[in-house]
Amino acid sequence: MQAAPFRRGIAGPGATLRAGAAYARRWLHFGAEALAAALSPSTYTAPVRAVAARQVCSSAWEILPGFVVVCALLSYVVMRIVSSTARDYGLSGYALDLFVRLLVLELIPLFVALFVALRSGTAIGTEVALMRVRGELDEAHRREGTGPLRAELLPRGIGTAAAVVALTAIGSLVALVMAYVGIYGLSRWGHGAYARAIGQVFEPMVMVGLGLKVALFAVAVGVIPVAASLGAPRELRSVSEAAPRGLVRLFVTLALVEAASLALRYI
Amino acid sequence: MEPAPLSPPEIRRAELKAAVVLAITLAIAAGFVIYVLFARGVFERTQALVLMAEDGAGVTVGMDLTFSGFPVGRVQKIELAGDGKARIEIDVPEKDARWLRASSVFTLERSLVGGARLRAFTGNLADKPLPDGAIREVLRGDATDELPGVIASAKRLLENLERMSAEDSALNASLASSRVLMERMSGPQGALGGLLGSEENARKVITAVDRANATLASLEKVSTRLDGVLQKADESVFGSGGVMEESRKTVVQLNATLAEARESLRKVDAILADAQKITASTRAATDDLAGLRLEVEASLRRVSALIDEINRKWPFSRDTEVKLP
Repeated sequence: MQAAPFRRGIAGPGATLRAGAAYARRWLHFGAEALAAALSPSTYTAPVRAVAARQVCSSAWEILPGFVVVCALLSYVVMRIVSSTARDYGLSGYALDLFVRLLVLELIPLFVALFVALRSGTAIGTEVALMRVRGELDEAHRREGTGPLRAELLPRGIGTAAAVVALTAIGSLVALVMAYVGIYGLSRWGHGAYARAIGQVFEPMVMVGLGLKVALFAVAVGVIPVAASLGAPRELRSVSEAAPRGLVRLFVTLALVEAASLALRYI
Repeated sequence: MEPAPLSPPEIRRAELKAAVVLAITLAIAAGFVIYVLFARGVFERTQALVLMAEDGAGVTVGMDLTFSGFPVGRVQKIELAGDGKARIEIDVPEKDARWLRASSVFTLERSLVGGARLRAFTGNLADKPLPDGAIREVLRGDATDELPGVIASAKRLLENLERMSAEDSALNASLASSRVLMERMSGPQGALGGLLGSEENARKVITAVDRANATLASLEKVSTRLDGVLQKADESVFGSGGVMEESRKTVVQLNATLAEARESLRKVDAILADAQKITASTRAATDDLAGLRLEVEASLRRVSALIDEINRKWPFSRDTEVKLP
Protein backbone atom coordinates (compact mmCIF):
# COMPACT_ATOMS: atom_id res chain seq x y z
CA MET A 1 0.00 0.00 0.00
CA GLN A 2 1.34 3.37 -0.96
CA ALA A 3 0.83 5.67 1.94
CA ALA A 4 -0.45 9.17 1.33
CA PRO A 5 2.47 11.54 1.16
CA PHE A 6 2.82 14.14 3.83
CA ARG A 7 2.15 17.46 2.14
CA ARG A 8 3.99 20.42 3.53
CA GLY A 9 2.92 23.96 3.03
CA ILE A 10 -0.77 23.23 2.47
CA ALA A 11 -2.80 24.75 5.20
CA GLY A 12 -6.31 24.70 3.76
CA PRO A 13 -9.11 23.03 5.62
CA GLY A 14 -9.76 20.63 2.78
CA ALA A 15 -6.20 19.39 2.85
CA THR A 16 -6.32 18.99 6.62
CA LEU A 17 -9.51 16.99 6.38
CA ARG A 18 -8.06 14.82 3.65
CA ALA A 19 -4.93 14.21 5.69
CA GLY A 20 -7.03 13.35 8.75
CA ALA A 21 -9.18 10.95 6.77
CA ALA A 22 -6.15 9.29 5.27
CA TYR A 23 -4.58 8.95 8.70
CA ALA A 24 -7.75 7.47 10.16
CA ARG A 25 -8.06 5.02 7.29
CA ARG A 26 -4.45 3.92 7.63
CA TRP A 27 -4.75 3.68 11.42
CA LEU A 28 -7.88 1.62 11.21
CA HIS A 29 -6.43 -0.61 8.52
CA PHE A 30 -3.25 -1.27 10.38
CA GLY A 31 -4.99 -1.54 13.71
CA ALA A 32 -7.53 -4.05 12.45
CA GLU A 33 -4.85 -6.10 10.80
CA ALA A 34 -2.67 -6.07 13.89
CA LEU A 35 -5.57 -6.87 16.18
CA ALA A 36 -6.67 -9.75 14.02
CA ALA A 37 -3.16 -11.08 13.95
CA ALA A 38 -2.74 -10.61 17.68
CA LEU A 39 -5.93 -12.52 18.40
CA SER A 40 -5.14 -15.44 16.14
CA PRO A 41 -3.16 -18.18 17.96
CA SER A 42 -1.23 -19.06 14.83
CA THR A 43 0.56 -15.73 15.09
CA TYR A 44 2.37 -16.73 18.25
CA THR A 45 5.23 -18.67 16.79
CA ALA A 46 8.42 -19.02 18.75
CA PRO A 47 10.18 -16.02 17.14
CA VAL A 48 7.09 -13.83 17.67
CA ARG A 49 6.86 -14.89 21.30
CA ALA A 50 10.53 -14.15 21.79
CA VAL A 51 10.26 -10.67 20.33
CA ALA A 52 7.07 -9.95 22.29
CA ALA A 53 8.71 -11.18 25.49
CA ARG A 54 11.71 -8.95 24.93
CA GLN A 55 9.42 -6.01 24.36
CA VAL A 56 7.49 -6.73 27.57
CA CYS A 57 10.74 -6.95 29.48
CA SER A 58 12.00 -3.75 27.91
CA SER A 59 8.78 -1.81 28.54
CA ALA A 60 7.72 -3.23 31.91
CA TRP A 61 10.15 -5.53 33.68
CA GLU A 62 13.19 -3.29 33.58
CA ILE A 63 11.39 -0.30 34.98
CA LEU A 64 9.19 -2.18 37.42
CA PRO A 65 11.02 -1.28 40.69
CA GLY A 66 11.22 2.39 39.87
CA PHE A 67 7.65 2.41 38.64
CA VAL A 68 6.37 0.80 41.85
CA VAL A 69 8.29 3.27 44.02
CA VAL A 70 7.06 6.29 42.04
CA CYS A 71 3.51 4.95 42.07
CA ALA A 72 3.63 4.35 45.82
CA LEU A 73 4.97 7.81 46.56
CA LEU A 74 2.51 9.52 44.24
CA SER A 75 -0.40 7.52 45.66
CA TYR A 76 0.57 8.20 49.25
CA VAL A 77 0.97 11.93 48.68
CA VAL A 78 -2.32 12.21 46.78
CA MET A 79 -4.09 10.10 49.39
CA ARG A 80 -2.81 12.30 52.22
CA ILE A 81 -3.88 15.45 50.39
CA VAL A 82 -7.32 14.09 49.59
CA SER A 83 -7.76 12.65 53.08
CA SER A 84 -6.76 15.79 54.97
CA THR A 85 -8.78 18.05 52.69
CA ALA A 86 -11.84 15.85 53.01
CA ARG A 87 -11.41 15.81 56.79
CA ASP A 88 -11.20 19.62 56.87
CA TYR A 89 -14.54 19.82 55.13
CA GLY A 90 -16.08 17.07 57.25
CA LEU A 91 -16.28 14.71 54.29
CA SER A 92 -13.69 12.13 55.31
CA GLY A 93 -16.18 9.39 54.51
CA TYR A 94 -15.77 10.27 50.85
CA ALA A 95 -11.95 10.46 50.80
CA LEU A 96 -11.34 6.88 49.67
CA ASP A 97 -14.13 7.10 47.12
CA LEU A 98 -12.63 10.27 45.66
CA PHE A 99 -9.10 8.86 45.66
CA VAL A 100 -10.07 5.65 43.89
CA ARG A 101 -12.13 7.47 41.30
CA LEU A 102 -9.37 9.99 40.70
CA LEU A 103 -6.23 7.88 40.78
CA VAL A 104 -7.13 4.28 40.04
CA LEU A 105 -9.87 4.85 37.53
CA GLU A 106 -8.45 7.84 35.70
CA LEU A 107 -4.90 8.97 36.36
CA ILE A 108 -2.92 5.75 36.64
CA PRO A 109 -4.18 4.20 33.36
CA LEU A 110 -3.55 7.48 31.52
CA PHE A 111 -0.12 8.03 33.02
CA VAL A 112 0.95 4.45 32.34
CA ALA A 113 -0.14 4.72 28.71
CA LEU A 114 1.76 7.96 28.28
CA PHE A 115 4.80 6.57 30.06
CA VAL A 116 5.00 3.43 27.92
CA ALA A 117 4.35 5.47 24.79
CA LEU A 118 7.22 7.80 25.61
CA ARG A 119 9.56 4.99 26.54
CA SER A 120 8.82 2.47 23.78
CA GLY A 121 6.50 4.05 21.25
CA THR A 122 8.95 6.71 20.14
CA ALA A 123 11.68 4.13 19.60
CA ILE A 124 9.42 1.88 17.57
CA GLY A 125 8.08 4.79 15.53
CA THR A 126 11.57 5.95 14.67
CA GLU A 127 12.65 2.46 13.67
CA VAL A 128 9.60 1.97 11.46
CA ALA A 129 10.26 5.29 9.74
CA LEU A 130 13.84 4.21 9.08
CA MET A 131 12.63 0.90 7.68
CA ARG A 132 10.35 2.74 5.30
CA VAL A 133 13.20 4.91 4.14
CA ARG A 134 15.25 1.79 3.48
CA GLY A 135 12.34 0.22 1.59
CA GLU A 136 12.08 -2.80 3.83
CA LEU A 137 8.33 -2.46 4.23
CA ASP A 138 7.27 -2.97 0.67
CA GLU A 139 4.13 -4.64 -0.50
CA ALA A 140 5.78 -7.98 -1.26
CA HIS A 141 7.00 -8.57 2.25
CA ARG A 142 3.67 -7.78 3.74
CA ARG A 143 1.71 -9.89 1.30
CA GLU A 144 3.84 -12.93 2.03
CA GLY A 145 3.15 -12.61 5.72
CA THR A 146 6.77 -13.13 6.63
CA GLY A 147 7.83 -9.55 6.44
CA PRO A 148 8.71 -7.17 9.24
CA LEU A 149 5.04 -6.63 10.14
CA ARG A 150 4.57 -10.19 11.30
CA ALA A 151 8.13 -10.74 12.34
CA GLU A 152 8.88 -7.55 14.25
CA LEU A 153 6.19 -4.90 14.34
CA LEU A 154 3.32 -7.04 15.52
CA PRO A 155 5.17 -8.72 18.42
CA ARG A 156 6.53 -5.38 19.55
CA GLY A 157 3.06 -3.85 19.43
CA ILE A 158 1.68 -6.79 21.40
CA GLY A 159 4.50 -6.51 23.90
CA THR A 160 3.92 -2.79 24.33
CA ALA A 161 0.20 -3.27 24.82
CA ALA A 162 0.82 -6.04 27.34
CA ALA A 163 3.22 -3.75 29.19
CA VAL A 164 0.53 -1.08 29.40
CA VAL A 165 -1.96 -3.55 30.88
CA ALA A 166 0.60 -5.01 33.30
CA LEU A 167 1.86 -1.67 34.56
CA THR A 168 -1.69 -0.39 34.95
CA ALA A 169 -2.65 -3.41 37.03
CA ILE A 170 0.47 -3.21 39.20
CA GLY A 171 0.19 0.55 39.60
CA SER A 172 -3.47 0.33 40.56
CA LEU A 173 -2.71 -2.37 43.13
CA VAL A 174 0.06 -0.24 44.64
CA ALA A 175 -2.26 2.77 44.71
CA LEU A 176 -5.01 0.82 46.48
CA VAL A 177 -2.54 -0.52 49.05
CA MET A 178 -1.14 2.95 49.65
CA ALA A 179 -4.66 4.33 49.97
CA TYR A 180 -5.36 1.88 52.77
CA VAL A 181 -2.07 2.74 54.48
CA GLY A 182 -2.68 6.45 53.98
CA ILE A 183 -6.09 6.32 55.67
CA TYR A 184 -5.84 3.55 58.25
CA GLY A 185 -2.10 3.12 58.70
CA LEU A 186 -1.02 -0.46 59.27
CA SER A 187 -4.07 -1.29 61.37
CA ARG A 188 -6.11 -4.18 60.12
CA TRP A 189 -9.35 -2.84 61.58
CA GLY A 190 -10.00 -0.54 58.69
CA HIS A 191 -10.53 -3.38 56.29
CA GLY A 192 -14.31 -3.55 56.70
CA ALA A 193 -14.88 0.08 55.80
CA TYR A 194 -12.20 -0.08 53.09
CA ALA A 195 -13.75 -3.13 51.43
CA ARG A 196 -17.17 -1.54 51.59
CA ALA A 197 -15.91 1.66 49.94
CA ILE A 198 -14.09 -0.31 47.23
CA GLY A 199 -17.21 -2.36 46.65
CA GLN A 200 -19.30 0.78 46.29
CA VAL A 201 -16.94 2.39 43.78
CA PHE A 202 -16.30 -0.64 41.61
CA GLU A 203 -19.74 -1.37 40.37
CA PRO A 204 -19.94 -3.93 37.55
CA MET A 205 -20.27 -1.26 34.88
CA VAL A 206 -17.32 0.65 36.29
CA MET A 207 -15.20 -2.50 36.20
CA VAL A 208 -16.17 -3.19 32.60
CA GLY A 209 -15.54 0.43 31.68
CA LEU A 210 -12.10 0.38 33.31
CA GLY A 211 -11.14 -2.81 31.53
CA LEU A 212 -12.31 -1.45 28.20
CA LYS A 213 -10.48 1.81 28.68
CA VAL A 214 -7.21 0.11 29.59
CA ALA A 215 -7.57 -2.20 26.58
CA LEU A 216 -8.12 0.77 24.28
CA PHE A 217 -5.14 2.57 25.78
CA ALA A 218 -2.99 -0.53 25.24
CA VAL A 219 -4.08 -0.92 21.62
CA ALA A 220 -3.52 2.77 20.97
CA VAL A 221 -0.03 2.72 22.48
CA GLY A 222 0.86 -0.44 20.53
CA VAL A 223 -0.53 0.67 17.19
CA ILE A 224 -0.51 4.43 16.73
CA PRO A 225 3.25 5.13 16.76
CA VAL A 226 3.77 2.44 14.11
CA ALA A 227 0.79 3.57 12.07
CA ALA A 228 2.01 7.16 12.16
CA SER A 229 5.48 6.14 11.00
CA LEU A 230 4.05 4.03 8.21
CA GLY A 231 2.44 7.18 6.82
CA ALA A 232 5.67 9.17 6.86
CA PRO A 233 7.31 10.13 3.54
CA ARG A 234 10.20 8.03 2.34
CA GLU A 235 12.75 10.69 3.10
CA LEU A 236 15.54 10.54 5.61
CA ARG A 237 14.78 13.96 7.01
CA SER A 238 11.22 12.94 7.85
CA VAL A 239 12.49 10.24 10.23
CA SER A 240 13.09 12.77 13.01
CA GLU A 241 9.51 14.04 12.67
CA ALA A 242 7.79 10.67 12.50
CA ALA A 243 8.07 9.78 16.18
CA PRO A 244 6.84 13.16 17.57
CA ARG A 245 3.97 13.13 15.10
CA GLY A 246 3.03 9.64 16.21
CA LEU A 247 3.16 10.72 19.86
CA VAL A 248 0.93 13.71 19.26
CA ARG A 249 -1.62 11.51 17.52
CA LEU A 250 -1.34 9.04 20.34
CA PHE A 251 -1.95 11.74 22.95
CA VAL A 252 -4.98 12.99 21.05
CA THR A 253 -6.35 9.46 20.82
CA LEU A 254 -5.73 8.81 24.53
CA ALA A 255 -7.45 12.08 25.39
CA LEU A 256 -10.44 11.16 23.24
CA VAL A 257 -10.71 7.73 24.88
CA GLU A 258 -10.42 9.28 28.33
CA ALA A 259 -13.05 11.91 27.51
CA ALA A 260 -15.39 9.28 26.12
CA SER A 261 -14.88 7.16 29.24
CA LEU A 262 -15.66 10.09 31.53
CA ALA A 263 -18.65 11.08 29.45
CA LEU A 264 -20.09 7.58 29.53
CA ARG A 265 -19.59 7.25 33.26
CA TYR A 266 -20.67 10.64 34.56
CA ILE A 267 -22.94 12.15 31.93
CA MET B 1 23.81 3.55 5.70
CA GLU B 2 23.93 0.94 8.43
CA PRO B 3 20.70 -0.91 9.01
CA ALA B 4 19.05 0.12 12.23
CA PRO B 5 18.45 -2.58 14.84
CA LEU B 6 14.72 -3.25 14.76
CA SER B 7 14.40 -5.89 17.44
CA PRO B 8 14.45 -4.97 21.11
CA PRO B 9 17.78 -5.53 22.82
CA GLU B 10 18.58 -9.03 23.90
CA ILE B 11 17.53 -9.76 27.46
CA ARG B 12 18.42 -12.86 29.42
CA ARG B 13 15.49 -15.17 30.13
CA ALA B 14 13.18 -12.65 28.57
CA GLU B 15 10.33 -15.09 28.10
CA LEU B 16 10.41 -16.10 31.76
CA LYS B 17 10.36 -12.49 32.91
CA ALA B 18 7.59 -11.66 30.50
CA ALA B 19 5.64 -14.64 31.75
CA VAL B 20 6.14 -13.48 35.34
CA VAL B 21 4.89 -10.01 34.47
CA LEU B 22 1.86 -11.39 32.65
CA ALA B 23 1.16 -13.86 35.47
CA ILE B 24 1.30 -11.04 38.03
CA THR B 25 -1.06 -9.00 35.87
CA LEU B 26 -3.53 -11.83 35.52
CA ALA B 27 -3.33 -12.60 39.24
CA ILE B 28 -3.95 -8.96 40.11
CA ALA B 29 -6.89 -8.72 37.71
CA ALA B 30 -8.49 -11.97 38.89
CA GLY B 31 -7.79 -11.23 42.54
CA PHE B 32 -9.19 -7.75 42.23
CA VAL B 33 -12.38 -8.98 40.62
CA ILE B 34 -12.83 -11.56 43.39
CA TYR B 35 -12.06 -8.95 46.05
CA VAL B 36 -14.60 -6.53 44.60
CA LEU B 37 -17.22 -9.28 44.49
CA PHE B 38 -16.41 -10.06 48.13
CA ALA B 39 -16.55 -6.36 49.00
CA ARG B 40 -19.92 -6.06 47.33
CA GLY B 41 -21.22 -8.88 49.49
CA VAL B 42 -21.73 -11.42 46.70
CA PHE B 43 -20.45 -14.27 48.86
CA GLU B 44 -22.47 -13.33 51.94
CA ARG B 45 -25.78 -14.86 52.92
CA THR B 46 -28.27 -12.08 53.15
CA GLN B 47 -31.88 -11.49 54.01
CA ALA B 48 -34.13 -9.06 52.24
CA LEU B 49 -35.63 -5.92 53.71
CA VAL B 50 -38.01 -3.69 51.78
CA LEU B 51 -38.38 -0.04 52.74
CA MET B 52 -41.25 2.02 51.37
CA ALA B 53 -40.52 5.74 51.09
CA GLU B 54 -42.72 8.64 49.99
CA ASP B 55 -39.82 10.01 47.98
CA GLY B 56 -36.85 7.99 46.81
CA ALA B 57 -34.76 10.96 45.70
CA GLY B 58 -31.17 10.65 46.84
CA VAL B 59 -31.30 6.90 47.29
CA THR B 60 -28.88 5.07 45.02
CA VAL B 61 -28.14 1.43 44.40
CA GLY B 62 -25.19 0.39 46.52
CA MET B 63 -25.70 2.94 49.30
CA ASP B 64 -25.57 1.72 52.86
CA LEU B 65 -28.18 1.24 55.51
CA THR B 66 -26.45 2.19 58.75
CA PHE B 67 -27.10 1.30 62.34
CA SER B 68 -25.26 3.34 64.97
CA GLY B 69 -23.02 4.61 62.19
CA PHE B 70 -22.06 1.14 60.95
CA PRO B 71 -23.29 -0.20 57.63
CA VAL B 72 -25.56 -3.19 58.11
CA GLY B 73 -27.15 -3.39 54.69
CA ARG B 74 -26.90 -2.30 51.10
CA VAL B 75 -29.49 -1.02 48.67
CA GLN B 76 -29.88 -3.51 45.82
CA LYS B 77 -32.80 -2.16 43.90
CA ILE B 78 -35.06 0.89 43.75
CA GLU B 79 -38.34 0.91 41.92
CA LEU B 80 -41.65 2.69 41.88
CA ALA B 81 -44.25 0.59 43.65
CA GLY B 82 -47.86 0.21 42.54
CA ASP B 83 -49.08 2.71 45.13
CA GLY B 84 -46.71 5.40 43.89
CA LYS B 85 -44.18 5.02 46.66
CA ALA B 86 -40.50 4.32 46.25
CA ARG B 87 -39.75 0.68 46.97
CA ILE B 88 -36.19 0.26 48.24
CA GLU B 89 -34.91 -3.30 48.41
CA ILE B 90 -32.03 -3.82 50.80
CA ASP B 91 -29.84 -6.84 51.36
CA VAL B 92 -28.88 -7.28 54.99
CA PRO B 93 -26.05 -9.77 55.69
CA GLU B 94 -27.21 -12.39 58.13
CA LYS B 95 -24.39 -11.58 60.52
CA ASP B 96 -25.67 -7.99 60.78
CA ALA B 97 -29.37 -8.87 60.80
CA ARG B 98 -29.36 -9.20 64.59
CA TRP B 99 -29.23 -5.44 64.93
CA LEU B 100 -32.56 -5.12 63.18
CA ARG B 101 -35.62 -6.13 65.19
CA ALA B 102 -39.32 -6.19 64.53
CA SER B 103 -39.69 -2.88 66.32
CA SER B 104 -36.85 -1.15 64.44
CA VAL B 105 -37.50 2.23 62.85
CA PHE B 106 -35.96 3.27 59.53
CA THR B 107 -35.31 6.84 58.44
CA LEU B 108 -34.23 8.47 55.22
CA GLU B 109 -32.31 11.66 55.90
CA ARG B 110 -31.06 14.22 53.46
CA SER B 111 -28.53 16.65 54.78
CA LEU B 112 -27.44 19.91 53.22
CA VAL B 113 -23.99 18.47 52.52
CA GLY B 114 -23.48 14.90 51.34
CA GLY B 115 -25.91 12.36 50.02
CA ALA B 116 -29.00 10.85 51.53
CA ARG B 117 -28.61 8.45 54.43
CA LEU B 118 -30.68 5.43 55.34
CA ARG B 119 -30.52 4.76 59.06
CA ALA B 120 -31.99 2.11 61.30
CA PHE B 121 -32.88 2.59 64.97
CA THR B 122 -33.58 -0.30 67.29
CA GLY B 123 -34.86 0.63 70.72
CA ASN B 124 -35.22 -2.87 72.08
CA LEU B 125 -32.54 -5.31 71.02
CA ALA B 126 -34.33 -8.09 72.90
CA ASP B 127 -37.33 -7.82 70.59
CA LYS B 128 -38.00 -10.60 68.11
CA PRO B 129 -35.80 -10.54 64.97
CA LEU B 130 -36.82 -8.80 61.78
CA PRO B 131 -38.27 -11.45 59.47
CA ASP B 132 -36.81 -12.06 56.02
CA GLY B 133 -38.52 -9.96 53.38
CA ALA B 134 -40.06 -7.58 55.92
CA ILE B 135 -41.66 -4.43 54.52
CA ARG B 136 -41.31 -1.27 56.56
CA GLU B 137 -42.22 2.37 56.08
CA VAL B 138 -39.38 4.90 56.02
CA LEU B 139 -39.67 8.01 58.14
CA ARG B 140 -38.48 11.22 56.56
CA GLY B 141 -35.74 13.17 58.25
CA ASP B 142 -35.12 15.79 55.68
CA ALA B 143 -33.33 18.97 56.66
CA THR B 144 -34.00 20.61 53.33
CA ASP B 145 -37.74 19.95 53.44
CA GLU B 146 -38.02 22.20 56.46
CA LEU B 147 -35.93 24.89 54.84
CA PRO B 148 -38.71 26.82 53.00
CA GLY B 149 -40.79 26.98 56.18
CA VAL B 150 -37.79 28.10 58.19
CA ILE B 151 -36.96 30.75 55.62
CA ALA B 152 -40.58 31.98 55.57
CA SER B 153 -40.60 32.20 59.37
CA ALA B 154 -37.25 33.96 59.36
CA LYS B 155 -38.59 36.42 56.80
CA ARG B 156 -41.63 37.19 58.93
CA LEU B 157 -39.40 37.57 61.93
CA LEU B 158 -37.13 39.95 60.08
CA GLU B 159 -40.11 42.02 58.92
CA ASN B 160 -41.37 42.24 62.47
CA LEU B 161 -37.92 43.26 63.64
CA GLU B 162 -37.77 45.86 60.94
CA ARG B 163 -41.14 47.28 62.00
CA MET B 164 -40.09 47.24 65.62
CA SER B 165 -36.83 48.98 64.90
CA ALA B 166 -38.32 51.64 62.57
CA GLU B 167 -37.91 55.30 63.49
CA ASP B 168 -41.57 55.84 64.43
CA SER B 169 -42.22 52.39 65.87
CA ALA B 170 -44.01 51.81 69.15
CA LEU B 171 -40.93 50.16 70.54
CA ASN B 172 -38.82 53.18 69.78
CA ALA B 173 -41.41 55.47 71.40
CA SER B 174 -41.51 53.21 74.45
CA LEU B 175 -37.76 53.25 74.65
CA ALA B 176 -37.73 57.04 74.39
CA SER B 177 -40.32 57.32 77.19
CA SER B 178 -38.32 54.87 79.23
CA ARG B 179 -35.24 56.96 78.71
CA VAL B 180 -37.07 60.11 79.92
CA LEU B 181 -38.34 58.17 82.91
CA MET B 182 -34.88 56.84 83.66
CA GLU B 183 -33.41 60.31 83.41
CA ARG B 184 -35.99 61.61 85.88
CA MET B 185 -35.40 58.68 88.16
CA SER B 186 -31.71 59.36 88.12
CA GLY B 187 -32.41 63.02 89.11
CA PRO B 188 -32.20 64.45 92.65
CA GLN B 189 -35.73 63.24 93.53
CA GLY B 190 -34.98 59.64 92.37
CA ALA B 191 -37.74 57.26 91.36
CA LEU B 192 -40.41 59.42 93.09
CA GLY B 193 -39.67 62.32 90.83
CA GLY B 194 -40.01 60.02 87.81
CA LEU B 195 -43.32 58.64 88.96
CA LEU B 196 -44.93 61.93 90.00
CA GLY B 197 -43.74 63.87 87.01
CA SER B 198 -42.27 66.95 88.73
CA GLU B 199 -39.89 67.80 91.52
CA GLU B 200 -42.46 69.92 93.31
CA ASN B 201 -44.88 67.05 93.72
CA ALA B 202 -42.07 64.80 94.86
CA ARG B 203 -41.03 67.37 97.42
CA LYS B 204 -44.57 67.56 98.75
CA VAL B 205 -44.77 63.83 99.14
CA ILE B 206 -41.43 63.77 100.93
CA THR B 207 -42.58 66.51 103.27
CA ALA B 208 -45.78 64.58 103.96
CA VAL B 209 -43.83 61.50 104.68
CA ASP B 210 -41.56 63.39 107.06
CA ARG B 211 -44.54 64.75 108.89
CA ALA B 212 -46.14 61.40 109.12
CA ASN B 213 -42.90 60.09 110.52
CA ALA B 214 -42.82 62.81 113.17
CA THR B 215 -46.47 62.12 114.09
CA LEU B 216 -45.77 58.47 114.39
CA ALA B 217 -42.80 59.15 116.65
CA SER B 218 -44.97 61.38 118.83
CA LEU B 219 -47.71 58.76 118.95
CA GLU B 220 -45.15 56.22 119.94
CA LYS B 221 -44.10 58.37 122.88
CA VAL B 222 -47.74 58.85 123.91
CA SER B 223 -48.30 55.18 123.66
CA THR B 224 -45.29 54.50 125.85
CA ARG B 225 -46.51 56.91 128.47
CA LEU B 226 -50.02 55.50 128.36
CA ASP B 227 -48.58 52.07 128.89
CA GLY B 228 -46.78 53.34 132.01
CA VAL B 229 -49.93 54.96 133.35
CA LEU B 230 -52.01 51.89 132.79
CA GLN B 231 -49.38 49.75 134.42
CA LYS B 232 -49.29 51.99 137.43
CA ALA B 233 -53.10 52.06 137.67
CA ASP B 234 -53.16 48.36 137.41
CA GLU B 235 -50.63 48.02 140.15
CA SER B 236 -52.43 50.50 142.42
CA VAL B 237 -55.81 48.86 141.96
CA PHE B 238 -55.02 45.20 141.67
CA GLY B 239 -51.46 44.93 142.97
CA SER B 240 -50.24 43.86 146.36
CA GLY B 241 -51.34 46.49 148.86
CA GLY B 242 -53.62 48.04 146.25
CA VAL B 243 -57.08 49.52 146.61
CA MET B 244 -58.90 46.28 146.13
CA GLU B 245 -56.98 44.41 148.78
CA GLU B 246 -57.27 47.23 151.28
CA SER B 247 -61.00 47.47 150.61
CA ARG B 248 -61.41 43.81 151.22
CA LYS B 249 -59.55 44.12 154.52
CA THR B 250 -61.64 47.12 155.47
CA VAL B 251 -64.84 45.31 154.68
CA VAL B 252 -63.72 42.48 156.92
CA GLN B 253 -62.96 44.92 159.69
CA LEU B 254 -66.29 46.67 159.09
CA ASN B 255 -68.11 43.39 159.45
CA ALA B 256 -66.33 42.77 162.71
CA THR B 257 -67.09 46.31 163.92
CA LEU B 258 -70.74 46.01 162.93
CA ALA B 259 -70.94 42.79 164.86
CA GLU B 260 -69.51 44.56 167.83
CA ALA B 261 -71.96 47.41 167.35
CA ARG B 262 -74.86 45.00 167.17
CA GLU B 263 -73.66 43.43 170.34
CA SER B 264 -73.37 46.85 171.95
CA LEU B 265 -76.87 47.80 170.83
CA ARG B 266 -78.21 44.56 172.21
CA LYS B 267 -76.56 45.50 175.40
CA VAL B 268 -78.10 48.98 175.10
CA ASP B 269 -81.47 47.34 174.64
CA ALA B 270 -80.91 45.32 177.71
CA ILE B 271 -79.70 48.31 179.56
CA LEU B 272 -82.68 50.37 178.40
CA ALA B 273 -84.95 47.58 179.55
CA ASP B 274 -83.12 47.68 182.78
CA ALA B 275 -83.41 51.44 182.76
CA GLN B 276 -87.17 51.18 182.33
CA LYS B 277 -87.13 48.86 185.20
CA ILE B 278 -84.90 51.09 187.05
CA THR B 279 -86.70 54.32 186.24
CA ALA B 280 -88.73 53.82 189.26
CA SER B 281 -85.77 53.75 191.39
CA THR B 282 -83.71 56.52 189.72
CA ARG B 283 -81.33 56.87 192.39
CA ALA B 284 -80.19 53.37 192.31
CA ALA B 285 -79.74 53.47 188.61
CA THR B 286 -77.74 56.65 188.20
CA ASP B 287 -74.36 54.86 188.53
CA ASP B 288 -75.30 52.25 185.90
CA LEU B 289 -76.36 55.04 183.48
CA ALA B 290 -73.06 56.75 183.77
CA GLY B 291 -71.19 53.53 182.99
CA LEU B 292 -73.48 52.71 180.10
CA ARG B 293 -73.02 56.14 178.61
CA LEU B 294 -69.30 55.70 178.63
CA GLU B 295 -69.62 52.39 176.90
CA VAL B 296 -71.91 53.78 174.18
CA GLU B 297 -69.67 56.67 173.56
CA ALA B 298 -66.69 54.40 173.23
CA SER B 299 -68.51 52.28 170.67
CA LEU B 300 -69.61 55.33 168.72
CA ARG B 301 -66.06 56.59 168.63
CA ARG B 302 -64.81 53.34 167.28
CA VAL B 303 -67.51 53.37 164.60
CA SER B 304 -66.57 56.90 163.73
CA ALA B 305 -62.90 55.93 163.57
CA LEU B 306 -63.73 53.01 161.30
CA ILE B 307 -65.70 55.18 158.92
CA ASP B 308 -62.89 57.64 158.88
CA GLU B 309 -60.48 54.89 158.04
CA ILE B 310 -62.66 53.75 155.16
CA ASN B 311 -62.95 57.25 153.88
CA ARG B 312 -59.24 57.69 154.09
CA LYS B 313 -58.44 54.54 152.17
CA TRP B 314 -61.13 54.90 149.49
CA PRO B 315 -59.62 56.88 146.58
CA PHE B 316 -62.69 58.93 145.95
CA SER B 317 -63.04 60.02 149.45
CA ARG B 318 -62.48 63.52 150.44
CA ASP B 319 -59.22 64.45 151.97
CA THR B 320 -59.43 63.96 155.66
CA GLU B 321 -55.97 65.00 156.43
CA VAL B 322 -55.72 67.93 158.76
CA LYS B 323 -53.39 70.34 157.25
CA LEU B 324 -51.64 72.36 159.81
CA PRO B 325 -51.20 75.97 159.07
